[in-house]
Amino acid sequence: MRARPLVLLLVSACETGLVSGPRVPESDPGRVTVHRLNNTEYNNTVRDLLGTSLRPADAFPADDVSYGFDNISAVLSVSPVQVELYHQAAVALAADVMTAAPERILTCQPDPADPAPCLREIAAGFGRRAWRRPLSDDEIARAVALYPIAIEAGGDGREGVQLMVEYFLASPSFLFRFELDPDPLSPQVRPLGEYELASRLSYFLWSSMPDDELFAAADEGRLERADELERQVRRMMADPRAEAIVDNFAGQWLALRDLAELEPDAELFPDFDQPLRRAMAAETAAFVREFLHGDRPIEEMLTADFTTVNERLAAHYGMAATGTVSLAGSQRRGLLGHASILTVTSYPNRTSPVRRGKWVLEELLCASPPPPPPGVEGLDEEGPFTGSIRERMEQHRSDPACRGCHQAMDPIGFALEHFDATGAWRDTDGEFEIDATGTTPDGASFDGAIELAGVLASDPRFGRCVTEKMLTYALGRGLTESDGPAVGEMQQRLRARGGRLSDLLLLVAESDPFLYRRGEPAAEDSP
Amino acid sequence: MTGWNRRAFLGGAGVAVALPFLASLRPRRVRAQAAEVKRRLLVIYTPNGMNMADWTPAATGADYALTPILAPLSAIRSKVLVLSGIDNHPAESDGFGQHAPATASFLTCTHVAKSQEIANGVSMDQVAAGRLGAATRFASLQLGTDGGSSAGGCDGGYSCAYTHNISWAGRGRPMPKMVSPRAVFDLLFAGFDPDQTAAARERRLLYDHSVLDAVAADAGRIEGRLGASDRAKLDQYLTGVRELELRLGTSAECAVAERPPEGIDFPVKVRLMLDLMALAIQCDLTRVVTFMMGNSISGHSFPWIGVPDAHHPLSHHQNDPGKLAKLTTIDRWEVEQMVYLAQKLDAMDDGDGATVLDNSLIYFSSEVADGNRHENVNLPILLAGRAGSTIRPGRHVHYGDGRLADLYISLLHHLGAPVDAFGDDGTQLIGQLA
Repeated sequence: MRARPLVLLLVSACETGLVSGPRVPESDPGRVTVHRLNNTEYNNTVRDLLGTSLRPADAFPADDVSYGFDNISAVLSVSPVQVELYHQAAVALAADVMTAAPERILTCQPDPADPAPCLREIAAGFGRRAWRRPLSDDEIARAVALYPIAIEAGGDGREGVQLMVEYFLASPSFLFRFELDPDPLSPQVRPLGEYELASRLSYFLWSSMPDDELFAAADEGRLERADELERQVRRMMADPRAEAIVDNFAGQWLALRDLAELEPDAELFPDFDQPLRRAMAAETAAFVREFLHGDRPIEEMLTADFTTVNERLAAHYGMAATGTVSLAGSQRRGLLGHASILTVTSYPNRTSPVRRGKWVLEELLCASPPPPPPGVEGLDEEGPFTGSIRERMEQHRSDPACRGCHQAMDPIGFALEHFDATGAWRDTDGEFEIDATGTTPDGASFDGAIELAGVLASDPRFGRCVTEKMLTYALGRGLTESDGPAVGEMQQRLRARGGRLSDLLLLVAESDPFLYRRGEPAAEDSP
Repeated sequence: MTGWNRRAFLGGAGVAVALPFLASLRPRRVRAQAAEVKRRLLVIYTPNGMNMADWTPAATGADYALTPILAPLSAIRSKVLVLSGIDNHPAESDGFGQHAPATASFLTCTHVAKSQEIANGVSMDQVAAGRLGAATRFASLQLGTDGGSSAGGCDGGYSCAYTHNISWAGRGRPMPKMVSPRAVFDLLFAGFDPDQTAAARERRLLYDHSVLDAVAADAGRIEGRLGASDRAKLDQYLTGVRELELRLGTSAECAVAERPPEGIDFPVKVRLMLDLMALAIQCDLTRVVTFMMGNSISGHSFPWIGVPDAHHPLSHHQNDPGKLAKLTTIDRWEVEQMVYLAQKLDAMDDGDGATVLDNSLIYFSSEVADGNRHENVNLPILLAGRAGSTIRPGRHVHYGDGRLADLYISLLHHLGAPVDAFGDDGTQLIGQLA
């Protein structure tokens, strides 16, 4: 699928049954700004590199979010305080590993009379894993040179090696994922290097560093082959570390992380507590996991008639059974029946049809409502509305300035009104009857959550939206118009393959924006 | 040195922080300097505007009557300026989504475009830190209460960086804030070990320098192969490394016995952060701190003062009297927090008959005035202390069409970090402060 040495190309063509020439992508694969490890990636990486139980990044400032995710390299900046925290963490981690698991570092014992050979071995071995690429002789020498500083200052050999570890962990080559261009100013498209690709794969699927098998594949140049790429992706998805897709992709896409910070009104919702909060998050995580590893098409995420509940959540839903249960006979289907999503799209003391509708449009259809026209500020001065939420919203929509977006957002929210601000079923909204009927601007009508789910599942924007979100997350950059062809092609191939989430992950890993990059002509510097 | 005890209590949580012997409170390097006035800047940002009808005093001058929201100022009104009639026009939105551009320009007075990419000007606190930050362990600190997550987008198509940060080092460089009191505590007092020998401390210092020198040397091989935006990222890091090297060894001898707890409620967290701000100032670990008492568009609820509603939707009050009353309750609580910090600083002796508050400025405001209308004019502004300068507190000063950027030029002037221009529209001193 990508430019590669001729010999490898032929091998790959024979093995895969495809015959295609080396090619350059037709459209611009774009360019990812150098990527600082975000806090999740930092914790995961030191876990896999050192086997440590320390999670230093828990104390770091939160990563900034753009395009819905916290791994967007363009907004991952570094302040002086962060530099200080990285340095403190490097010192603490080096001390920890030399105490708890020195064998991970000391692959040999430095001979006091002539420590250099062993130190070079340590630097080359540990450095390659820490920096996710082989080191140059200069870099190895720079690490080894720290050892005698400790010895001369009265430290022992272990302290000398500890200094080397501090250095590897405080280096930009550890904290940043560099993709070094031969000519950084050239717009010439190039395939990623093997180690660069290995890191893209591991940070996409695991939010962590490559493992030994991925390093070995990179060492041997195997990732150039389409069949090997697929084999690695499937292997990595079967690994427990792939839970990172649930935590970090779905956790942000489906706003599960926000659930942790919400505080529903304790007087109105006295049953809401930490076990219920955890049960809500667990339901959605289990659901995503089923789609990640199972055989269901993505659209079923909206219409699925099963879910996974523990006793606490089953009681909240008014269900008897626990575990993975059928929803037949209930009013819940798919994601929009999940209390997690229904809660994070509510206010602490009431539902918000607008907020729920806006969330569905933005997160499930990637269709942000158009902004209100100029002059809309005037509506803020209207008097208080009265009546049910629906009646109040309809007064709101009587203003032509509001109607544009609200006729797209509100009906979706109305269909979910039987679920209260913590996602529990309610027959009425206090003294008011609930009217859960609605019509989209396209004329599709529905009554209640189940019919709404059907309308949304048949909307082609849903599949495209999930694709766009996944590609954004995988690349760590916002998509641009030039990504349109790649997204369109992925959509076609996704349908052809059966439309599973696992297919989508593989298609992202095989896409041109994921496999290629280019330099940055000087003009791009100014936004 | 009088007016405070060896044990200061972190409010609310009931956690005692034992302070060290007074003589060792300041880093040696600073202690050795002449007795110049140590000026400090502390910024408190509050989200979602104010109920302006209950905020603005009717009269100007020294004899204004306190309003319902400003009532907590009574304890320190002689040390506070209430400023009204000041506008921040660069804060205006490109369209839907008013909080993000207003929060982005809260301290920068720079207009930001609607984008998920980020570009903003340098914030006023960072200009101040360029001058005030040279002598201390940390040039500045950024603190807050809320982390980074946010359901869906942040505000009408603007990057969340604009709603989560008020301190900016420059274009594309937000200064992310720390939101865990315990992590702030650990940062401030890391490496402080009263039992460590001088020799051990010297050795650790040598190690840190050696490692950081090697880290800086790494860059050479990489730099030539990076595009401009990549090089800018690497430069951020290397600049931080060089700065750190310069500041190593100036760590405060300002010990504390107990770390703040984790898993705390919002009001306790606010108090702990204010305590840590006071502590950092007291120990002269920094002279510039910004604090976001909530992210922009914050949905915090305030059940402990009888307001279980989410703040942001409540701020869209539509002139509902019940909602306005609740907003006044929240806004007054926010002012109480500022007063708490001011009183702490005012209880610290700074020499020559002045308190630490006298030699500091606490700047308190929100990104908009009324939260329903999202006005960028007539912003609610409080100023406590006088930065050891000619500022005359104890008054309500009303400006007609004053510019926020001009106010910042004046504040920087009084802080000893003068600039001729600031932000998009700052060109002169605002006047009437002295």
